[in-house]
Amino acid sequence: MSVFEERVEHRRLDCGIDLAVMEIPGRSVVAVELRVLAGYALESPDYLGVAYVMDEAIAKGTAKRDGRALNDAFDAIGVSHSSFAGRETAGFSCLCLPEFLDEAIALHAEMLRTPAFPRDACEVAVELSRQALAALDDEPLDLAKKLLSRQAYGEPLGRHALGECATLDRIGRDQVVEHWQRFFAADRMLVAVAGPVEAGRVADLFERAFAGFRAPTASTEIQPEPAVRFAPGRTHYPKDFEQEQVVMCFPGAAVTDADYPVELVVLGALAGGMSGRLWTEVREKQGLVYWVSAWGDHPRRGGMVHLGASTTPQHLDRTYATLLREINRLAEDLTAAEVERAIIGIVSQVQTRGDVTRSRASRLVDDLFFHGRPMALAEKVARVRAVTVDAVRRYLTAHPRDRLSVVTLGPQDLQAE
Amino acid sequence: MSTSRFVQLRLSNGLAVVIEVMPHVPSVACGFLARTGARDEHSALAGVSHFLEHMCFKGTARRDWQRINIEFDEMGSQYNAYTSKDRTFYYGWVRAEELERQLDLLADMMRSTLPAGEFDVEKQVVLEEIAMSGDDLSSNAYDLLYESLCPDSPLAWPVLGYERTIRELSVEQMRAYHASRYAPENLTLVVAGRVDPENVVAMAERLCGDWPAVEAGPRGPAPVLRSGVARRSLERFHQQAVVLAFPAAPGTHELNETAESIAAILGGSNSRFYWNIMQKGLSTQAAVFREEYGDFGLMVLYALCEPAHCERVLEAMRHEAQTLVEQGPEPKEVQRVKNLRRTSLAVEAEAPFYRLGQIVDDMEYHGQPRSAEERLAAVERVSDESIRDYLQQFPITGEGLLVSVGPRAWPES
Repeated sequence: MSVFEERVEHRRLDCGIDLAVMEIPGRSVVAVELRVLAGYALESPDYLGVAYVMDEAIAKGTAKRDGRALNDAFDAIGVSHSSFAGRETAGFSCLCLPEFLDEAIALHAEMLRTPAFPRDACEVAVELSRQALAALDDEPLDLAKKLLSRQAYGEPLGRHALGECATLDRIGRDQVVEHWQRFFAADRMLVAVAGPVEAGRVADLFERAFAGFRAPTASTEIQPEPAVRFAPGRTHYPKDFEQEQVVMCFPGAAVTDADYPVELVVLGALAGGMSGRLWTEVREKQGLVYWVSAWGDHPRRGGMVHLGASTTPQHLDRTYATLLREINRLAEDLTAAEVERAIIGIVSQVQTRGDVTRSRASRLVDDLFFHGRPMALAEKVARVRAVTVDAVRRYLTAHPRDRLSVVTLGPQDLQAE
Repeated sequence: MSTSRFVQLRLSNGLAVVIEVMPHVPSVACGFLARTGARDEHSALAGVSHFLEHMCFKGTARRDWQRINIEFDEMGSQYNAYTSKDRTFYYGWVRAEELERQLDLLADMMRSTLPAGEFDVEKQVVLEEIAMSGDDLSSNAYDLLYESLCPDSPLAWPVLGYERTIRELSVEQMRAYHASRYAPENLTLVVAGRVDPENVVAMAERLCGDWPAVEAGPRGPAPVLRSGVARRSLERFHQQAVVLAFPAAPGTHELNETAESIAAILGGSNSRFYWNIMQKGLSTQAAVFREEYGDFGLMVLYALCEPAHCERVLEAMRHEAQTLVEQGPEPKEVQRVKNLRRTSLAVEAEAPFYRLGQIVDDMEYHGQPRSAEERLAAVERVSDESIRDYLQQFPITGEGLLVSVGPRAWPES
């Protein structure tokens, strides 16, 4: 079997879960990635931050046991588990030895189906969210990214997971429960499992664990994913740091677009490795930065290309000018060798990371989210390998970079536009 | 747990070679460990190890920096390097068929010419990295911890060095440091993945066998660790970092896995710190981590909090440490930590890249790599008794070294 061939079974369970299972015999661990269509972009505007608070509170007890007992039960079978409040989904990740998969699924079902949301745990979650929001002031890059998202994406995709001080103040147990009731149901769940498992058996386990899972007031309507909007502009935020942060973005391709593999190659050519344009021109030739990068950000229905760098104030203008120059001239002088290197980087990473069971499950659950089905890896790789210099030029023409959304954060503003 | 096996040897010039054969994976990771870091530097050269790591990417007799970067990317490598207090490590993770090319490149970099023409540009990059570190609260706390803990030792200064020492450093000074510290006897080639070990040994002989054997020079003694209080007011931050450090077992100690368990019980996930400090709303981050070296160690209790919470956070950290020492662990705590370690060992065995880091630790502390089975056996030996025994030998009560960094000038006296 080629390294790009995978045995994946995909089915919609009777309980409503969209399940994909990748059977990888010989592995020592099983990875489960579970997403609930319940991200912070779907929050009520009055209670921004409630998805994050709910994520903090959901493991603090169930109908059967308190928070410590629940976490002890996970630990008793050596399950490494975590969760996050994402923009469009709530995520739950789990790694366990194969012999403990049944219990791990049962524990997740207990946590997701019957959370107790103790009042004191909700209050602590709100308090810690408030502190974390204030602590963002100590994280220059995270803060700059937050400000850029708000500026470029607007409502609701430009929100931050931690919400706002005023909205956090309004959140209590009732709002947490309401958020859970609105969105947590089996038919809003995407699940990917990878490891030494048998797909039919995994399906049975989830079917049993989540049969009839629908909170009393869960919405029966499929909530449409928010549309991606883009607002150009440039804003400077004064801040007493040693370095300036400069982050910017422009509209790119959605994951489902035919152009998406081309965008991956563009990002690879810009910042896929140390031979990438940004590293070469900003860091290696001029020594302007330690950190410079480019990355894609993809809500379900669209995409943005981001660039960022951090530099000391005396280098801000040159850094900014170099970033602009490089994204503009890419369409003119990109070489076939650069495209080839970007392609090799993408394909090679798929292969090496394929050794890691969790990365396979993550890729699979992303397929369910973006495409509604598992995508054949061989086909994805073939589409990347088919990208040419001409295709990149067409992409860059179709995605103009003359209207950027830019945020700078630090002691001084740009001197010249 | 795994089907891997080890091959270990030393070339005639002193270069150590360690290979983990992992037939169950399609990739391979490899790297060169240089047994040198901040603790091996003279004070006037503070930061030279880390700057040197940057410069090794800047040119060799056969490749300029562009060629180095292009070759890494042409083979689709996931590569990088890091420098710490006691080591510098260069690595790449590639498809198995690219091993020879990857090794050739990394070996060439170990003999970098440290081109003078690139020195000043890269110096600017390092100065940017120092500035970036200055904007990070945790980095400030970590630096003050070592500065106060062992002021008479090279361990006191930051791995990145100081702006002054980096500005004043010359390429000649760096070349002299490189010549001794990157001697073959001070380097280890580590390879893990789907490889034929005989092939790897042949490659190592061909690529590194003619490196002249020179003396690396001894490493300085273990530092004398101080206790007390150190604070630094940095008003630009919102949160306060509160750190409490105690001398701990070195990486070579037989109770090393026990020390790891203590850190997890006190400050891991689902730990005492999590429930009794974070879940009391006192801190967004409260954890315990270990600093391991061949000749000493540290147990570090750490929290980020609102400045107004400093007293309560410190009191809570001390209380949890005291309670563990006095009452010992609960049986379920010991068991849950062991269970999680089993899973993490299984995860680590999946990927050659994960294995590299562990092999590097094993070489430093045990002189040889350890199999997953050996490490699992060490995990199984952790018990209520071993924890009590460890805490007797390396107490985490008493004064310790308290470090506070943030907007509040605390403690006041």
